[in-house]
Amino acid sequence: MSKPAVEVKNLTKVFNTGNPGANVFKKGITGSYVVAVDNLSFKVEAGEVYGLIGPNGSGKSTTMKVVLGLMAPTDGSAKVFGLDAGDVRARNDIGYLPENPYFYRHLSGEETLKFYGKLCGLKGKVLKDRIDELLDMVDLEGARTRRLAGYSKGMLQRIGLAQAIIQRPGLVILDEPTAGVDPVGSRQIRDLILQLKEEGISVFLCSHLLEQVQEVCDNVGIIFKGRMRREGPLEELVSIENRYSFVLENASPKLIKEIETLVEKEKGVTITEKGNPRTTLERLFLKIAGSKDQDEV
Amino acid sequence: MTTFTETKVKIPVLSLSRVWTIAAGTMTQLVRMKTFYFLLIFAVLVAGVGYLDFRLATAASQLETIKKISFGTMDLFAWLYAIVATALLIPRDLEDRTLYTILSKPVRRVEYLVGKLLGVLILIGLSLGLMFCLCMVMLAIKHGDLVSSELIKLSSDPNITQVEIEEQIALINEQGPRKELGVAALASFLKSSVVAAMTILISTFASSSLFTIITSIFFFLIGHAHGMMTDYWLHKTEGNLVIRLATKVMKLLIPDFQLYSFSEGVVTGATIVPAVVWSMGFLTAGYLFIFLLISLMIFMYKEF
Ligand SMILES: Nc1ncnc2c1ncn2[C@@H]1O[C@H](COP(=O)(O)OP(=O)(O)OP(=O)(O)O)[C@@H](O)[C@H]1O
Ligand SMILES: [Mg+2]
Repeated sequence: MSKPAVEVKNLTKVFNTGNPGANVFKKGITGSYVVAVDNLSFKVEAGEVYGLIGPNGSGKSTTMKVVLGLMAPTDGSAKVFGLDAGDVRARNDIGYLPENPYFYRHLSGEETLKFYGKLCGLKGKVLKDRIDELLDMVDLEGARTRRLAGYSKGMLQRIGLAQAIIQRPGLVILDEPTAGVDPVGSRQIRDLILQLKEEGISVFLCSHLLEQVQEVCDNVGIIFKGRMRREGPLEELVSIENRYSFVLENASPKLIKEIETLVEKEKGVTITEKGNPRTTLERLFLKIAGSKDQDEV
Repeated sequence: MTTFTETKVKIPVLSLSRVWTIAAGTMTQLVRMKTFYFLLIFAVLVAGVGYLDFRLATAASQLETIKKISFGTMDLFAWLYAIVATALLIPRDLEDRTLYTILSKPVRRVEYLVGKLLGVLILIGLSLGLMFCLCMVMLAIKHGDLVSSELIKLSSDPNITQVEIEEQIALINEQGPRKELGVAALASFLKSSVVAAMTILISTFASSSLFTIITSIFFFLIGHAHGMMTDYWLHKTEGNLVIRLATKVMKLLIPDFQLYSFSEGVVTGATIVPAVVWSMGFLTAGYLFIFLLISLMIFMYKEF
């Protein structure tokens, strides 16, 4: 009977972008508006990894903030495990890592986890054991007592991830978890996400790093200018039905030449692509992001 | 997959342990930001005041002046600290997005606000306690010096009787370190608490710490001119309705900080009326409550 981890229905979020200070009395008359999210609907099923991808300013972070109850929707609704997004109880079950997170710089890694653990109602030995476990999991055991002011970007991101899952939430929301992290660090984060998935935790993430999305996500939604453009299982999204590809390893130039002549003999068949394989998701992303007319896709 | 929400649904309206976690975090933050260094400056100033020679007629009036200056400085440091420390909290959390991570935990916004205020209040209380102790120590030393030099001076004069000497010493003792001075420190604490709550309110809609500090100081100063402005406006405008309303609103929104200056009398040795102290306590509680309530109303609907 498990309810979807996240259920967003017809969500719209409009920002008034008039200078809030100067326009406070004129709001609604002269203020200009930005429709950050436009009638967006999607579901993150319990236990799956869902990736929301889209170019800068397409409304990914805004959607996440609404799901977290940090912002109220202008229209539509967002539910977490069946509870309204604004409900405190819903947040019992959510872990969140914002984009480019900063935590209290003067706290050490251990103190940071303690702080967030206590906010979740953990204490005593349970909390202590959980902190040990997490520091080990995110590979920060060595930086345990060091203050966050001296952490590198990748370390901050990992302590952020640990902080997010301190109370063993059923849903983890990650806003660009690998932005600004080097390939090794992002591989670590990817492994952690897969580990979460294995433990049955639902993950809702957004990212620009499409290869990574491709590696961890079960379902993907592509958002552009606040609207959902494509959605579905990763496999379906990236496969093209009238095409077929095989990737060969260690094929000699002679073999490739032979295949090419074989194909040329067949009527109506053309080789549309050859060379070293590329991420197909990336192409789809670029096609959507590159189209000027937003209704075209 | 179990849904965790069903097993742990109960969340109290205000969890004291969460409030305390935030308050303790706030204290650690402010202490490690080295905001306490102002206490060193205060110590130096107070020690300096102790060594000033005012060349005043009597030893008693010397002590009185020293008290006025040191307790005045203590008061100034307390409310300035209240403004600066409070203004560093919320805008900074917002800037650093730390607020996102806190509010995405099962933390109610009221718990966050109350926790922040509580943390600041405890620190103000602690620093006032320290400053008070410094003042008292300095006063005790100065008092001892003055008494012994006065004794030497008086007893060397054959025309002065023992009774007269005792009278003189009693006069000096009156200006010495007496426990009633604690009430002056308490008054500073009450005032600073209201200042801190007012600053929290301002910081719920301000976008930066600097703006918060400047606005708070501005309102703090206006809060000292209540009586003056009311008189001026009402007389000048002969009770124009709009002005009268404006004054009413201003009086309602900006605390009358002048009320707390009863502590100045305490410093110079006026008798303390317990009823006044109690009523100031209640008034402070009322201000804190109202400021928190308005802050919360703004903060509840704030989007991040
Ligand atoms: N608080 C706000 N006030 C006004 N406009 C906002 C606010 N937050 C976001 N926006 C606007 O809403 C749109 C969507 O922003 P959002 O941050 O959700 O994008 P994003 O997909 O997360 O982008 P990025 O990949 O750069 O993080 C943008 O045009 C942005 O300018
Ligand atoms: Mg974003």
